[in-house]
Amino acid sequence: MKLKTLFILSMVLIFSVLLSGCSASAMRTNSWSGLSADADNAYLANGTFVYAITLKNGGQLWQYPAEGADSKEAYFANPVLTDDGQLLIASAGSNHSLTSLDTTNGTANWTFADAIAPWIGSPTVVDGTIYAPNSDGILYTLDMNGNLLWKKEIGGALWSQPVSDGKMLYITSLDHNVYALDLASQEIAWSVSVEGALPGSAAIDEAGNLYVGSFGSNVASISTSSEAIAWDSEIAGWVWDAPTLDGETLYVGDLEGNFHAFNTSDGSEVFAPVKLNGPITGSPLVLDDFIVVGTEGNLETEEFGKAYAIDREGGIVWQQTINGQLYTAPVQGGDLILFSPVEADAVLVALDLDGRQAWPFTPAK
Amino acid sequence: MWQTFIIEPMTNLLLLIYTLIGQNFGIAIILFTILIRAITWPLTAQQLKGTSGIQELQTDKEWMGIQKKYKGDKEKLAQEQMRIYKERGINPFGSCLPTLIQFPIIIGLYQAIIRSLAATPLSLLNLSRGLYPILDVTKVIPLKSTFLWMDLGRPESIQVFGFALPVLAIIVVITSYIQSKLMTPPPNPGGNDQGAAMSGMMSIYMPFLMGYFALTFASGLALYFITSNLLGIAQYVMMGKANWDNVIPGRKK
Repeated sequence: MKLKTLFILSMVLIFSVLLSGCSASAMRTNSWSGLSADADNAYLANGTFVYAITLKNGGQLWQYPAEGADSKEAYFANPVLTDDGQLLIASAGSNHSLTSLDTTNGTANWTFADAIAPWIGSPTVVDGTIYAPNSDGILYTLDMNGNLLWKKEIGGALWSQPVSDGKMLYITSLDHNVYALDLASQEIAWSVSVEGALPGSAAIDEAGNLYVGSFGSNVASISTSSEAIAWDSEIAGWVWDAPTLDGETLYVGDLEGNFHAFNTSDGSEVFAPVKLNGPITGSPLVLDDFIVVGTEGNLETEEFGKAYAIDREGGIVWQQTINGQLYTAPVQGGDLILFSPVEADAVLVALDLDGRQAWPFTPAK
Repeated sequence: MWQTFIIEPMTNLLLLIYTLIGQNFGIAIILFTILIRAITWPLTAQQLKGTSGIQELQTDKEWMGIQKKYKGDKEKLAQEQMRIYKERGINPFGSCLPTLIQFPIIIGLYQAIIRSLAATPLSLLNLSRGLYPILDVTKVIPLKSTFLWMDLGRPESIQVFGFALPVLAIIVVITSYIQSKLMTPPPNPGGNDQGAAMSGMMSIYMPFLMGYFALTFASGLALYFITSNLLGIAQYVMMGKANWDNVIPGRKK
């Protein structure tokens, strides 16, 4: 009986440790990062911190919170720079906080913490009003001082940054719908359903057409005038992030590692999909000479993610291996291309336009 | 390995059940638990048989005789014990096996629940891998995580007069206690007092440990615990092994 009891006690102990481990790994706070940049600085949301980094040499300007990590915060969303010098950071942690930082020194201007669920997507600013989608399915509207103006239940979990043409706000939802919210009436004017969940934003062109990719393994164009799908192209894998417009071409990556280019007029493919070394979860970055995308790499073979530069005919101009997985969309900062790998020591890597590493940024321990 | 043989099959099975029953994740967990209980039914029966068989040996004359006879010769005592086990058709490890099997199921289920509900970008990305091609889950992802008053991906509680009352955790403690007490055979005068005491301690500690897990982790896991406990109780009753006198202290005969 003694042996049996000891055995059960040992099992319980192992079980507790394993279960705690499961929980921790499920909510790894550094599992995703958010990135934005202006001409001089990069802003990186990573785990429990947000960093400002100078593009000159990758040196840290400040970190938020300055005094140390708050375990209730977890920053996944891309920080948003506003015209009046605020940096909006949204937390997926248990605090459910949306905070405005002063970009000059990283101190908090205000915090909005009335949402009931984590923030996965970034807010967007239209005409001096902040529209913040939450995974509770509600769109929170704030003034630039963080005061709640109104809120609207949209539906599903909202994980992506809304886009706007000034009159309407277009919100994609994990409930498979694209919602058009009339900013004047604050009511949903119309919605269009697509094949699968929409974790990424829509892209919008000057004619008012929306382009979305979904977990239905498709890319669709939605006409905002007819409020219906104009074309729908099937592809091999699920689409995670927003497609990127480049004139009359639409670029998008899928989770099967294919890089696609579509004609915006009819959804036909410009060139055959380019197969890369792993799933593509970030939107492509369009530059003058090529398009840049990052990959997760291959987890089974432990192959790191890669940055690819692809020309407009589908040829690979250069490729650069970066330690870690590249989940977040690359961002241009000055003459540099920025990637924020996860599962790596360097949480931000800057490449020049030839794909050579300019500098890595590793936070001080 | 763990991923391929435990998490992915469990996740796909949960998603299959979820799809078939009209997208109710709570019902999917309950049906999944019934399925697991049905698969492990023979093992549980073996556990009960092993436990009661070993218990009966405590008062057996031959068993007590070899304890006395080979008191100073542990090797010979072990040989004789194994002989009696063999003769009576008792597997001394039979009572441990179901417990051993439960652990990977619970851990795997917990990971499958968290993975299926995909509350974070990485968990949603992980869900996208390892889905079996025969499953068309495009239309059902993301899963609806609510069941009755619960969000199955988060710990559960109900606000009562301003206090967060963890209803599921309490039910887990109660059902775990009843189950462990039901399967404990009545103490016998000639039995091993130390062993009985430790067994009694386990039947107190285990429910609270399970309750702690239910309180701390996703409520989907608590739903599994409750369903599993109720099915366990039903099995003991059906097999005629339930010892109700043990459940209420002071009612022992």
